[in-house]
Amino acid sequence: MNFLKSGIKTVLGAPEPGQQPSVAETVERLVERASNSTLLEDRRDACRALKALSRKYRLEVGAQGLDTLRQILELDRADNETINYALDTLNNIVSPSQFEEEEDKPNIPMNIGDQFTEMFIKDPHNIQLVLDLLDEHDFRVRLSTVQLLISLLTNRTKDIQEIILDKPMGVSKMMDLLGDTREVIRNETLLLLIKLTKGNANIQKIVAFENAFDRLFEIVSSEGYSDGGIIVEDCLLLMLNLLKNNSSNINFFKEGSYIQKMLPMFNIPEESEEVGWSPQKVSNVHCMLQLVRTLVSPSNSAQIISNCQKIMKNVGLLDALCNILMASGVPADILTETINSVGEVVRGDASNQEFIGNVIAPSYPPRPAIIVLLMSMVNEKQPFSLRCAVLYCFQCYLYQNEVSQASLVQTLLPSSSDVSNLTSGQILCGGLFSSDVLSNWFSAVALMHALIDNTTQKEQLLRVLLATNIGSNPVSLLHQCTTLLQQTTKLQSKVALLMLLSQWMSSCPAAVSAFLQVPGGVGYLVNQTCSNEHDDNEYLLQGMSAFLLAICINFNDDSVQTYSKESLKQLLVKRIGVEVFTAKLSEVCKHELYNKAAKHPQLRVGCPVDVLIDYEFCRLFKSLEGVLSQSLETRAVNGGGAGEADLEQYKALIRQQDARLHELVHQLDALAQQAQGLQSALNDSLAANSLLKDENTLLKAQVSANSIPTTQPAATQPPLPDPKLGEYEERIEQLNDEVTRLNGEMTRLNEEVSRLKGELKAAKDEEKNSAEEMEKLKKDQDDLLYLLANYDSKTNEYKLRLLQLGEKVEDDEPTDEENLT
Amino acid sequence: MAYAYLFKYIIIGDTGVGKSCLLLQFTDKRFQPVHDLTIGVEFGARMITIDGKQIKLQIWDTAGQEAFRSITRSYYRGAAGALLVYDITRRETFNHLTTWLEDARQHSNSNMVIMLIGNKSDLESRREVKKEEGEAFAREHGLVFMETSAKTAANVEEAFINTAKEIYEKIQEGVFDINNEANGIKIGPQHSTAGAGGAGGAGAGGAPPGGCC
Repeated sequence: MNFLKSGIKTVLGAPEPGQQPSVAETVERLVERASNSTLLEDRRDACRALKALSRKYRLEVGAQGLDTLRQILELDRADNETINYALDTLNNIVSPSQFEEEEDKPNIPMNIGDQFTEMFIKDPHNIQLVLDLLDEHDFRVRLSTVQLLISLLTNRTKDIQEIILDKPMGVSKMMDLLGDTREVIRNETLLLLIKLTKGNANIQKIVAFENAFDRLFEIVSSEGYSDGGIIVEDCLLLMLNLLKNNSSNINFFKEGSYIQKMLPMFNIPEESEEVGWSPQKVSNVHCMLQLVRTLVSPSNSAQIISNCQKIMKNVGLLDALCNILMASGVPADILTETINSVGEVVRGDASNQEFIGNVIAPSYPPRPAIIVLLMSMVNEKQPFSLRCAVLYCFQCYLYQNEVSQASLVQTLLPSSSDVSNLTSGQILCGGLFSSDVLSNWFSAVALMHALIDNTTQKEQLLRVLLATNIGSNPVSLLHQCTTLLQQTTKLQSKVALLMLLSQWMSSCPAAVSAFLQVPGGVGYLVNQTCSNEHDDNEYLLQGMSAFLLAICINFNDDSVQTYSKESLKQLLVKRIGVEVFTAKLSEVCKHELYNKAAKHPQLRVGCPVDVLIDYEFCRLFKSLEGVLSQSLETRAVNGGGAGEADLEQYKALIRQQDARLHELVHQLDALAQQAQGLQSALNDSLAANSLLKDENTLLKAQVSANSIPTTQPAATQPPLPDPKLGEYEERIEQLNDEVTRLNGEMTRLNEEVSRLKGELKAAKDEEKNSAEEMEKLKKDQDDLLYLLANYDSKTNEYKLRLLQLGEKVEDDEPTDEENLT
Repeated sequence: MAYAYLFKYIIIGDTGVGKSCLLLQFTDKRFQPVHDLTIGVEFGARMITIDGKQIKLQIWDTAGQEAFRSITRSYYRGAAGALLVYDITRRETFNHLTTWLEDARQHSNSNMVIMLIGNKSDLESRREVKKEEGEAFAREHGLVFMETSAKTAANVEEAFINTAKEIYEKIQEGVFDINNEANGIKIGPQHSTAGAGGAGGAGAGGAPPGGCC
């Protein structure tokens, strides 16, 4: 305390003797009297004086008096006046806003109220003290208490929410105040509850449980619904707080038949055109529309959306909304929000979609409301936000509804005979080729939504022909889009056409084939993809062109010879390169507006320049990007099956070697047979040779034996043996030659055999090696599996241990009994 | 949909005794073996018939964990009925009943009907708390008792309906002040035509019948 006092003295300057006492001294004396005086009157006077000082000198009063004021709240409860002064003083001290009286004091920190709030709630019991004062029926005390709570909550929302949640009757007490017959208190309580429920689901649920919706609807109805004052708006803001992102409360709202109770809010009296809308009424109706949208917001669960949509249709709420849509004199921003609301009430619900499809506008001639809306969408003079709303509403009308998608495309087909009426298809085609860029974009996106997940309509739309110039042949819509894509210089139109074509051609080979036949189409895409401009929007265009090119490859049925799947792939690899291509593709989702668009089905942009990418295109891109870039990789490395691929490779190798082995064995057999044949021939020759030798010897013996007796005959016939002998010798020589040759042949064959044997052995070795390698791979795989199982059990063990340690483990039903009393 | 009365229930008891499963079985007639931990409080609703009258039950399923205990306390005051649930295969959930009961009695209105429920009766082989013990506890503290199985749906319907019957009888006896909504009872639209809020009644009457409740 001394430290603070001295601090203030240095700020204010030390009191000079003989002068008036300084503020700090006055405050000090007052605080002392408020806390120590035994007379209630004295304490009351001190509080009154402190209150008077607290606006101009809140630093001094707060620094010295906080404890004393707290103490008075506890001990002087019997005296409402004193309590009231104390509450007001506290409220001034913690006030989040700057007082006029403070303006000339630059040394007061901006967040002084926040700092005093922090000091005050350091002891949560102080909040209990304030909450207890809510039981006091006195008007002043009750009002001041509520106001103090509002200030505290404004400064420290989260902290005070937690403290109040911890007090068993905390929220209930505040809810009771809503029933206070004094309107000032009721109205102030509304503001308190709005602050209290902000962003805290648990408090929101308790407030709903305490019959908040009943009370609020009672107030709204007693105040005259949309014609009521700001109180109606406060009630609706509180309801919005209770319902936003709180599925339990939405469920309760729906089950409690509160949707029915919203109906009178949308009754727009006939004469409103003349009277005009007061700003308060605009705010009230705007909040009511927000309430409708909160219930059927696409971010809710499908079940909640569908239930609420059905109830809204059944109780006539959708009808009432359509009446606002068609009424005259409705302010533009209300009209815009109504269009958005109607969209979300029908989104994905076939019967509601059919309902608005049949709404007829009170125009001359009478036209379907959808047509009138679309006409505004492609009208440059309409407000930008309204045009965006119409697009969203139309997208919701087409969303997951094959009938409405088909009926849109139907209006464009040549068969539709009725030319006199303006059709939705005609409006969109007009918009597509208009000179207004936004109209191009809106129309292309609207048309694209008729094709989502609908192959039939993709093919039907191919049949659409356009008469471009008088005398020239009609061209197909796809042809015209492609031509326009090449001609236009506007970014938004280019992106819109690329989105339309991507949606159209994805999963539709017929559309791809039609596109490939358009002269220049592929070339344009390739050039765009190759382009080397450095700019976020250029990157986007390059990426989207790459995306469309990949669609041309992936959904190609090879019906166009020049651009078959393979040839396009080759073109891509040669001209762009797979890596560059993949990099360009990945640029798309890096664009800022892509990420914005991907978040919510509704286009949420502030200005026309930011209209670029549609939510459904993001969905298409996300679902296809992976598939497309993978299909381009020539050697697909499928991560999980790597081992399998290796195995397959080895198997092929083994099979190859096996075949070679067989071949060699056959060759060997053949050669062995040949060798055997030669051997036997050799044997024969040898036998014949020895026979001849014997014969020769015999003849020689005969010759020598007959030499005398045969001299005569020999003499008589000397020439006879001579030629024969020569002949024999010659023959022998011949045979010898033959033997040598055969011997040579034999050696060669033996060599051949041993060479083949070696080769066979090598082959066998190789086979064995492969088998071993395979064995090793299998073993590795087993090891990994075992390791995995090991980790698994370890993880479980850790989870258990964490559980034992009282830590929460998300996917387990904790059995932490030690957490219980 | 029109109803004669609307009763607010809460379901309380230790974590993991099957409170959310009981509610799911009663409102959706299905069983979900793996259920996320309830955070704070969840809401469910169903229409039943007692004595020929349509009665709408609004049920708040609370989180059993200690951390949410103070939040749970906020729901006692406005409830007409409470299902106090324990798990027959976990003795400690039975032992904690006294604490729960004290809490409930302290914060609720004195007429709140409390039904004691021993859940998981299908797990007979793992039973740790005898049926007789549950009956004795209920007798001692003046509660209605039942054993249920959210898995097989045994007695689930009965548990919710019997509680409603008890409340209904108390209304007939005049014990409940039905005009005080803080008691967790609301009279249906067709009863309140004499009341001041005429606009609400007309709106409900104009709605086409056969809604989706």
